[in-house]
Amino acid sequence: MSQAEVKFLEQVVYLPYRWSMGPVYTRFFEEFKKKKIMGTRCPQCKRVLVPARQFCPRCFVDTPEWVEVSDHGTIRTWALINFKFSGQPMDPPYITGLIDLEGADVGFLHFIGGVNLADLAEVRARIKIGGKVRARWKEKPQGNILDIECFEPVD
Amino acid sequence: MARAVAVVGFGQTKHGRRDEVSYPELVYEAVKAALDDAGITPDDIDAVVSGSMPPAMEGIGAPHLYLSDALSAFGKPSIRVATCGSTGISIAQMAYYHVASGLFDVVLAVGHEKMNENDPQGTMTTVGEPYFQRPFSGGAPGIFSMQAHQYMYRYNLPEERVREAAAIISVNHHENALDNPYAHIRMKITVEDVLNSKIIAYPVRLLDVCPSSDGAAAVIFAAEEKAKRFPRKPAWVKGLYYAGEEAFFGDSDKVVWQSAIIAAREAYRMAGIQNPRKEIDVAEVYNPFTFQELIFYECFGFCEPGEACRLVEEGVVLRGGELPCAPSGGVLCTNPIGATGLIRVGEAALQVTGRAGQRQVPGAKTALAHAMGGVDQLNGVMILSSEL
Amino acid sequence: MGRKVAIVGVAQLANEEVSNYNIREITYRVIKDLLEQCGMKRDEIETIVTSSSDYWQGISCSNTFYYDAIGGYLKNSSKTEDDGAFAFLYGCLRVMSGHFDTAIVHAVTKCSEVPDPSTLTNLTADPFYQRPLGLDDLSAAALQAKLYMDRYGVTEEQAARVVVKNLENALDNPYAARRAKITVDDVLRSEVVAYPLKTLDCPQDSDATCAVLLAAEEKVGKFTDTPVWVKGVGWSVDNFFLGDRDLLNGALARAAKKAYAMAGINRPREELDVAEICAPYSFQELLWYEQLGFCAAGEGGKLVDAGITARGGELPVNPSGGVLAANPYVARGLIRIAEAALQVMGKAGDRQVPGVKTALAHSTHGLAGQHHSVIILGKEGN
Repeated sequence: MSQAEVKFLEQVVYLPYRWSMGPVYTRFFEEFKKKKIMGTRCPQCKRVLVPARQFCPRCFVDTPEWVEVSDHGTIRTWALINFKFSGQPMDPPYITGLIDLEGADVGFLHFIGGVNLADLAEVRARIKIGGKVRARWKEKPQGNILDIECFEPVD
Repeated sequence: MARAVAVVGFGQTKHGRRDEVSYPELVYEAVKAALDDAGITPDDIDAVVSGSMPPAMEGIGAPHLYLSDALSAFGKPSIRVATCGSTGISIAQMAYYHVASGLFDVVLAVGHEKMNENDPQGTMTTVGEPYFQRPFSGGAPGIFSMQAHQYMYRYNLPEERVREAAAIISVNHHENALDNPYAHIRMKITVEDVLNSKIIAYPVRLLDVCPSSDGAAAVIFAAEEKAKRFPRKPAWVKGLYYAGEEAFFGDSDKVVWQSAIIAAREAYRMAGIQNPRKEIDVAEVYNPFTFQELIFYECFGFCEPGEACRLVEEGVVLRGGELPCAPSGGVLCTNPIGATGLIRVGEAALQVTGRAGQRQVPGAKTALAHAMGGVDQLNGVMILSSEL
Repeated sequence: MGRKVAIVGVAQLANEEVSNYNIREITYRVIKDLLEQCGMKRDEIETIVTSSSDYWQGISCSNTFYYDAIGGYLKNSSKTEDDGAFAFLYGCLRVMSGHFDTAIVHAVTKCSEVPDPSTLTNLTADPFYQRPLGLDDLSAAALQAKLYMDRYGVTEEQAARVVVKNLENALDNPYAARRAKITVDDVLRSEVVAYPLKTLDCPQDSDATCAVLLAAEEKVGKFTDTPVWVKGVGWSVDNFFLGDRDLLNGALARAAKKAYAMAGINRPREELDVAEICAPYSFQELLWYEQLGFCAAGEGGKLVDAGITARGGELPVNPSGGVLAANPYVARGLIRIAEAALQVMGKAGDRQVPGVKTALAHSTHGLAGQHHSVIILGKEGN
């Protein structure tokens, strides 16, 4: 049977969810709204984990000690996104990357910007692994992860 | 210890864009092919295990129930396993444990996916947790591209060299796929074609990347005494392992990638393999992305860290080389995700029993099958051999 | 049965203890509780099997979200989907193979975070033929209940007695979500939601997480003096379309037969001391009695009328209150196993049934119970 003879049923599945943040993420975002990035330090391995966590995944103990980390850091890695899909946060092109924030021992996932995204040569010139970046915060933070608009190169 | 378990049958669909069949019909095609290959009927199957990507991929909840008839599972024990991209290998491992436990003698493992019924990257974005990471993944390409970038930087490899090695891999696998009648993408390409193809997630380009495929695969596992009575030569499972990392993408290094290293190391230990480069004859690695494949070569001990480009440049992992990878064309040319890891196992079984037709690696006796899942989070490995 | 496996530890968290925390946190805590209880360190974990469900979490590849919370960092862990009993069964298979001497088994569901169960179970319906008709768990159960009533003359009163029994049992279960002393009349007067099912005939959706430690025979002594042996297991699935099935005689009888055969049980009603049965709808508990061989077909109502399955009866069913009292959809199957294990251990607190040697745990999922699993647990030498 050729494709022309087979029918298709089209539908969008809409599902509302309401996830509990729990006390740790709730506090993280309260601080984030004040433009502070908080981590927690593991009492055993001493790593500072960002975002703040309830426990250390490697030592498997509670991590009750809160530590503020910088909103400056270096780029651990990055990728320029150039394709579309449903539910995308914005139209491509845009850059996504891991940032090693000063004071943190793990990478922080976010957008990288402050550069002409349409010009790949400029992107490659200014966005480098190991390059210094700092957060560009929203004027009016809401208490979610997009309160930082992106990380921008510090020249 | 555990009783010996072998693959005694393998069937798969023609993978690609299968608009002309419904999801159950697609699954039925693979199951029938496997039963025919093994020369048995559903009555001979003691249990069924199945799996696929998240239900959101096809918009069907509890797929193992929806597909129970197509899976030939009626009246049988039937369990669904789901571990993202590594699902296919998890299905194989679950089937193995069904038999190794002693409770079942003949088990049917089925992996399935009909990706063209939705927006796959849109679905995959829902793997990212919503609090911190979901907006930033950039789909699978975004994650793998970040990893590729890190790899180049770690070993101070000029980007041009790595891109060229990746392109050679792509050319090699696409050529292999021409000998695989089940493969999705079957076209001849050149290194230039790859280097000039559209950027998907810089530094990765279109021809470095797998397609979205519809497809299903079914593998039949049997216990030693039963396996020897099947018409096909058994492919023995000599080793298997699986490991995973944290949920936060930034928590662990994905270049010296522990879950991949451990999965291979423990599978080798069980299989008695001490020098993988010498003792493995063919590898069906999970390779939706050329750049990431380089990292797997290193994690699996095929070469020293940072040396994967050389493996490609010297032809070691290419067709005709010492350790050919993806003679089937690999995931790069065919990726119905829920089935993909299981197809690796089936292809490995064909290789070690001399049944891989045009894509046979001459004299292959020991093969590695692998799949990866999550946001660069989970890795599973299985070793198959013609010898018990 | 091959290598013997026992449950050596059980941990649960439910309701307020979990509702205000995210899934990572509650998973971490229940695993920590289990490890402490058993004197096991995270390093010593050999393998973990978890059960959760993407649509029931809103996070695809659900276990990737909590892989490290479950103690899984660089460990060998897998996920079975949609039924907590699946995780248990797979955990058993892993230990029985000899590759692992212990296995942690876990399940989690937070109904408070997800859309209406009817919305989610409607998604398991065939998109062409069933979904547009609004078929979901509740309406499928209603179809089955109506057929059951008509075929055997089972009454709404008899079904209501199941609700009264279970909700009263739940008063002694700190993990239950709905606990009350009510009357048959209360059930009969509750709002009809899908005739013949009324609100009180339906489960109480809830939040919970549960973890169980399995150990092979040689290792059991390291963890507990009260191991609960896995004596028999059986599971089976039915056809998908409701119209293809005999809704009153499906996969449960097959699953039970296998489990009983393995456990050497011939007369379940006499040989079982307690049963934790997954019956989200009142009528289903009666039907499942029959399919489990506690009585003849059509006689389920008589069992509950005679008080046979009451707390003090010959074969108490659902001393925990069952799923009518708490329905954390995917986790419920593992919780039945945990509750049955606690009964055998003698650690079921105020809901303990005296003198339990052999217990049955049952799980079901899918429309009108398309899939069933039965597990027989017991003390050694029984």
